[in-house]
Amino acid sequence: MFNKLRIGKKGENIIFSVFVLIYIAWCVNSPDMNIESLKSVLTIGLSVGIIYGLVALGISLIYTGLDVVNFSHGEFFMIGAFAGLTMFNVLGDQDWIFNVFPDAYGWIIYVVCLFTAFVSMGLFGVFIERVFLRPLTKKGGGYTVAGMGIIICGFGLSVVLINVAYLIWNPVAKPFPAELGLPMEIGGLFLPITYIWMIIVGLGVAAGLWFFLNKTKMGLGIRAVAFSKDVSNLVGINVPLYISIIFGIACAIAGIGGTLVGPTYQVVVFMGYIILMKAFAAAVVGGFGNLPGAIVGGFTVGIFETASSFYISGSHKDLYAFLLMIVVLMIKPTGFFGTQVKMKA
Amino acid sequence: MLKIDQLVSGYGTVQILNGANMKVDNQSIVALLGGNGTGKSTILKATSGLIRAWKGSIEFDGEQIHNLPPHEIVGRGLVQVTQGKDVFPAMSVTENLRLGGFILKTKKQLNDNLEKVFNYFPRLNERKDQLAATLSGGELQMLCIGRGLMSNPKMIMLDEPSAALAPQIVLDIFKNINRIRKDGLTVLIVEQNVRMALLLADYGYVIKDGVINVEGDSKKLMYDESVKESYLGGTKVNVQ
Repeated sequence: MFNKLRIGKKGENIIFSVFVLIYIAWCVNSPDMNIESLKSVLTIGLSVGIIYGLVALGISLIYTGLDVVNFSHGEFFMIGAFAGLTMFNVLGDQDWIFNVFPDAYGWIIYVVCLFTAFVSMGLFGVFIERVFLRPLTKKGGGYTVAGMGIIICGFGLSVVLINVAYLIWNPVAKPFPAELGLPMEIGGLFLPITYIWMIIVGLGVAAGLWFFLNKTKMGLGIRAVAFSKDVSNLVGINVPLYISIIFGIACAIAGIGGTLVGPTYQVVVFMGYIILMKAFAAAVVGGFGNLPGAIVGGFTVGIFETASSFYISGSHKDLYAFLLMIVVLMIKPTGFFGTQVKMKA
Repeated sequence: MLKIDQLVSGYGTVQILNGANMKVDNQSIVALLGGNGTGKSTILKATSGLIRAWKGSIEFDGEQIHNLPPHEIVGRGLVQVTQGKDVFPAMSVTENLRLGGFILKTKKQLNDNLEKVFNYFPRLNERKDQLAATLSGGELQMLCIGRGLMSNPKMIMLDEPSAALAPQIVLDIFKNINRIRKDGLTVLIVEQNVRMALLLADYGYVIKDGVINVEGDSKKLMYDESVKESYLGGTKVNVQ
C-alpha cells in the first residue's frame, strides 16, 4: 500500500513517527500510567529486550556471514539455558566454593555458568554446522546456493534439538535458583537483581562482539568472509573455518542469552520457539542483517511488548512483538538501520 | 615457477578448459591472451584453487598445488588479483590492505609491506583512511594489486588490470607491474588489451576454446598473423 505511494525515506519516517505518537498517547491515557510504573516498564522492557537482541544478533550474524536464516537458533538459546543450569547444579553441590567465597559465591557460580553456556554452545554450534549443515553445501556454490535446503534443515534441526532436550531434561519447567542477592526496588516494584544483570551482561556481550569484529584480526577476517567468500579465499583466509567460527559465535551468544534468562523465568524445553520468533521480529525491526540494529530492535520490541501489556492489555502479551513487526514492515520495510541493498557486517 | 600441464576444468558440468599447457619462468612477465569466453579467467581460478582441476596438474615452485584449498595456495606465495575490482567497499583502504596481508604472522611484516605498497602506489597513501567504496576505478585497481602484494608473494596473477580504465592510468599501472617484476616477482597477466600486454610481457600465450592455440616470444606474437587477425583487429602494430 505505502510502496505504491512512493513516500520516500522522509515520508516513511514521518508516518512512523505519527504511529509512535499515537501509541504513546494511548499509553499515557491509560489509568495505570504514572512515573513509577514507567520506571519498571522500562527496566523490564530493556532486560527482556536485550535477550531478544542477543538472539537477533546471532540470527543477523549468521545471515550476513552464511546468507541463510537459521531457524533453529531458538533451540541453541534453550540448550544454552540447560547447559548453564546443569553447570549450576554441579557447582551448587560443591561446598568449598561457599567456604572460600562466603560473600560472593552466588555471583561466582553464576558467572561460571554463563561462561560454560558460552563455550559449550560455541562448540556445539561448530559441531552442528560441520556435521549437519556443511554436507548440504557439498554440491557446490556454498551456503548462498544451498540456502533453501539449509533453511528447511534448520526447521528440522529445531524439532530434533527440542526432542533431544526433552529426552535428556524432560519437559518439566525447572527453576534456576541463582543466589544473586536481594531484589531491588524500582518504581515501587521489587524486581530481582537479575533484570539489571541481564542488561549489563547483554550489553557487555554486544560491545565485546563489536570490539571483536572491528578491532581484531579474526574479526577483520569474519567481516571479509561475510562480504565475499571468493575474495576472502584469494587473500588467504581459511573460509570454511571462518564460516564455522561465525556459526559458533552466533550460537555462543544465544547460549549466554539462555543462561541470562534462566534465573528470572524458568528453564523449559519449549522456551526456544517463542524467543526465536520474537528475536526474528527484533531483527526485522532493527534492520535484518544489521548487528547494532539487532540490539536496538531487541530493545524496541522488549519495551513495546512490556509497555503494551502494562498499559493496553496484559492478556495478549505475545502478540505485540509481531504487531510491531508488521507495522515496521508496512511503513519502513528496511527496519531502523537496514539498507535496500544488502550491506555486510 | 608455474607449470600447468594438460589442465581440464570448468564450472559445474560445463567443461571450459580442454587440456591447457603453460609455463611461467621465474621473474618473467607472461601474458595470457584470448577473446571473451575462451577460458582465461578459468585458468586463473583453477590455479588459485577457487575451482578444482578435473584433470592435469598445476605445479608451483616445484610443488603440486592443484588439490590444495585456496588459502594454502596463497600461503605458498601465489596470489591472484581478481578481475572487476573486487575490494571490500565498506572497509577503509588500510583495512583492505591489511586483509591482503592476512597470512602474515607479525605486525612488523604487515607494516613493512604497507610501506612497500604505499611506495608503489602513493595515491593509496593519500586515501588510506577513506572507504574503498569512494575510490575511483584506477585507485580501485591499484588497491587490488596492492592487496595482492601485501602477503609477500613470489608470483602474482593479474586478471585484466586494464579493464575499463583510462589509457593514462593503464600506462601508470603497467609501469608499476614492470617495477614489481624488477623487484623480483613473477607476473602472469591476463589481458584483453593485447597491445599493452605484449609490449610489457616477455612471453605470450593465446588461448582459444580452452587450449593454448599460439605461444611464443611477445615480440614475435605481435607480428603473428593469426594473433593479429583474431585479437588485434587486423591492423599493423607499430613497436618502437
